[in-house]
Amino acid sequence: MRIEYINPFVEASFDILNEILQTNVKRGQLYLKKLGESMKGVAVVVGVIGNLKGRIVFDLSEETAMKIASKLNGEKFETFDEMARSTISEIANMITGRSVTKLEKDKLNFSFTPPTLITGENLNIYEYAGMEALIIPIDTGIGIIEINIAFKE
Amino acid sequence: MAIVYDDDGLPTGRKVEGGNVKVLIIDDSQFIIKHLSQIFMSRDFEIIGTADNGKTGVELFKELHDKTDIVTLDITMPEMDGLEALKLIKTIDHNVAVIMVTAIGTAEAVKEAIKLGAKGYIVKPLDREKVIERIGQILK
Repeated sequence: MRIEYINPFVEASFDILNEILQTNVKRGQLYLKKLGESMKGVAVVVGVIGNLKGRIVFDLSEETAMKIASKLNGEKFETFDEMARSTISEIANMITGRSVTKLEKDKLNFSFTPPTLITGENLNIYEYAGMEALIIPIDTGIGIIEINIAFKE
Repeated sequence: MAIVYDDDGLPTGRKVEGGNVKVLIIDDSQFIIKHLSQIFMSRDFEIIGTADNGKTGVELFKELHDKTDIVTLDITMPEMDGLEALKLIKTIDHNVAVIMVTAIGTAEAVKEAIKLGAKGYIVKPLDREKVIERIGQILK
């Protein structure tokens, strides 16, 4: 995976989360995910198709998802309901959208699928052969979001 | 349609000829529908309907087009995307002001929407002040 394709996601994730949450958002160190490592409980999957192929998964716990949804909607969510799910999916949408704006400078021809939200305990993700996943951990100040990226040209 | 601007040059939801500006919101995100509605209503615009995909949005517009002044339209939606919905909406009423709502500021889809007759676009995230200012520029 070329770092020039990763940087726009790192920047867009940091910028969008900072803009909307206005908490003390911090970027962690990027690292490679081990095969089959379990995820946190709420996963938003966005497919990438075109010259660049792969997917992005926004991985966070339900507790973090509820805190973020509560902050953005100005109301406390007792359950991870439709509005809370819509809020988290929309964040993924905004981050991928902002990344496109940044990546368009590279004249790459690709597009994103609409986000799909998956919840459950003991979720695992497996890449197909030759694909490795890079993780961008973001500490939002109210919980961690790991942005899990696997691309190939 | 001409709207009234306040002393700061910001748009109000009132028409020069009287009455409120009526808005139809078509977006697959409940979160965006809620926040966009709040922003419009804070300026006295009236939300006359919402739809969560292009297909039901076009059907709703067919029913409400005589009353609708503005349609906000998401680009990426299930069933029927925003560009396809835009074409049909413009066939029903060429004069309605359509504002695209997108997470992407410079993509081909936005340029295509402008070619198809969209009056302008709003880029997410929806910051209240920026959205109001942008609506004012688009409707001028």
